[in-house]
Amino acid sequence: MKPDDIDRILSTDDLLEPSSNFTAGVMAAISQPAEPPPLRFPWFRFLAGVFALLVMAVAGAVLLLHSAPALKPVIAPLAPLTALAPEFGYAIAVMLLSLALVAIPRILARS
Amino acid sequence: MRKEDQDAADVARVIAGDLCGFEAIVERWQHRLVSLAWRFCRDRATAEDMAQEVFVKVFRSLASFRGDSTFSTWLISVAVNTFRSRIRAEGQPLPDVDLNRLWDTTPSPLHELEERQRAEALRRAVLTLPERYRDAILVYYFEEKDMAESIRVLGVAEGTLKARLHRGRELLRRRCANLNPRAESAFEEAQ
Repeated sequence: MKPDDIDRILSTDDLLEPSSNFTAGVMAAISQPAEPPPLRFPWFRFLAGVFALLVMAVAGAVLLLHSAPALKPVIAPLAPLTALAPEFGYAIAVMLLSLALVAIPRILARS
Repeated sequence: MRKEDQDAADVARVIAGDLCGFEAIVERWQHRLVSLAWRFCRDRATAEDMAQEVFVKVFRSLASFRGDSTFSTWLISVAVNTFRSRIRAEGQPLPDVDLNRLWDTTPSPLHELEERQRAEALRRAVLTLPERYRDAILVYYFEEKDMAESIRVLGVAEGTLKARLHRGRELLRRRCANLNPRAESAFEEAQ
C-alpha cells in the first residue's frame, strides 16, 4: 500500500452513530453516586499484628523455660503425646499453611 | 451562537446545578465522542461504553475545568486519556483479525466493497501500532489533520507529533505491504 493510499483512507470519515438511548444512558450514569475507591489491604495493621504475635511467642517461650519445674505436674499427663509430637506438629503446620493459601486470593481481592 | 459559546454556557449551567446543561453537552458531543471511541476499538458496544465513561468522568471533574483550553480540546484530551487507559488495562477489544485473510477475497467487480475492506484492514492495522504512534495517527486524522489541535489534545511538541506520524505511517506501510498482492492487483485492475 502506498503512503498516499494510507493518507487518503485515514482521511475519510469513519463515523459511528450512537444508539438512540445513549444520552439517556449517560444521564442515568451520572445520577448514580460515584463508586468509592477500593479498600486497600491494611498492611500497617497486619504487620503490627505479626509483630505482636512474635513478641507474645518469645515472651511465652521465655516464661515457659523459667517456670518449667513448676509446670511439671501439669505437663506429666501429656507425656504420652510426646511420642506423636513431631507428626502432630507437621499435621498442624500443613493445615495452617493450607488455610493461609486458601485465604490469599480473598485477601488480594479485597485489597 | 458558536459551539464554543454554547459549551461555555452549558458548563456554567452544570456548575450552577442545572443537569439539563449537561444533557445539552452530551447531545452536542455524543456523535464525535462515540466516533472517536470507535476508531480506538472498532466495536460498537465498547465504543459506546468508553464514550459514556468519558462523559461521566467529565461531569465529575467539570468543576476543575479552568478554561485554559477550549471545552472541546479538554473533552477530547480526557477522551483520549480514558481510551488509552482502558485499552491498556483491558487489552485491545479488537478481535484477532488475520489481515491477510481479510485481504484474501476473490477479486470482485464491486471495487467499492473492496475499497471498504481495504479501509477496514488499514484502520485495524492502526490499532496494532505501538500506543504512541496509534494515538498520534488516530487523533491527527480525527481532528482532520489539524496539527495545532492535535498537539493540544495530545500534549506533545510539534516535532514529536510529526515524528510519530511519520514513523506510524511508515510502520503501517510496511505492515500493509505484506497483504495479499493478488487482491491488491485485482483492486488496481478494477479501478
